[in-house]
Amino acid sequence: MTPRREIVASVRALDAGSSFGRSVSMVVRGGDFLFVSSLAAVDPHSGEHVRGTTASETRQILTNLEHLLEAAGSSLDKVVKVNVLLHTMLEAPNMNEVYARFFPEPPPARTVCGARLPDGAKVIIECTALA
Amino acid sequence: MTEKLSRSVVQPRNPRLNVSRNANLPHVPGIRIGDYIFLSGMGPIDPQTGERNHGPITEQIRTTLRNMQHMLESAGSSLERVVRVHVVLADISDMPEMERVYREFFPIDPPARTAWSMQLRFGNGCEIECVALAT
Repeated sequence: MTPRREIVASVRALDAGSSFGRSVSMVVRGGDFLFVSSLAAVDPHSGEHVRGTTASETRQILTNLEHLLEAAGSSLDKVVKVNVLLHTMLEAPNMNEVYARFFPEPPPARTVCGARLPDGAKVIIECTALA
Repeated sequence: MTEKLSRSVVQPRNPRLNVSRNANLPHVPGIRIGDYIFLSGMGPIDPQTGERNHGPITEQIRTTLRNMQHMLESAGSSLERVVRVHVVLADISDMPEMERVYREFFPIDPPARTAWSMQLRFGNGCEIECVALAT
């Protein structure tokens, strides 16, 4: 059977606020997995970028990620791999402290990397999860 | 999920685009595993000469995405089957130009994507990798 590729419709409505008109789908299902685009800290009500500390941006992103996954029929405990990009690796402990509160044991595989991020974000997070 | 998934190497039909083999690097252009294809990061290689194309960033992005299309089609997949893309730029200020060219390749229902900027080798302006469904 050919595996299905699907732009997850239940989160399409949220796309407008979070993809900022870029040619990106926030959640794509391919076969058994969900691929989630990088999330920056966005206020779910206004759809505006929220600028804050690394900790507060991480909290906003993971809160939004939880909602996105649940809207797509998945959840944080089904995440298999996370990539976290930080504007500086010096902020890794601040991100970790918040991050650890979101994922149930055992947490997913993860890579953290320092990079220059778009739109002045301090953190962006993407993941792959079981559908 | 108990049966063993088959794993095979993805190779471009155009041998000039087999960058890792030509440069004797310890990776393959891509791996097919089960229903998925995982491509290595690709740079702007001219498919006629096999040399790096360091023109304007729009040309580098276009060349790289064309090569990615070639790689996927060589393996029986296509851009329409891509589920996730990573775009790495050498210069974060190239983001709007990247977006403009990227849109030509994924005009409807684009894949999930993450884009950021970090140091790249060989003076490349971009490196792009993806995960696609194989069939």
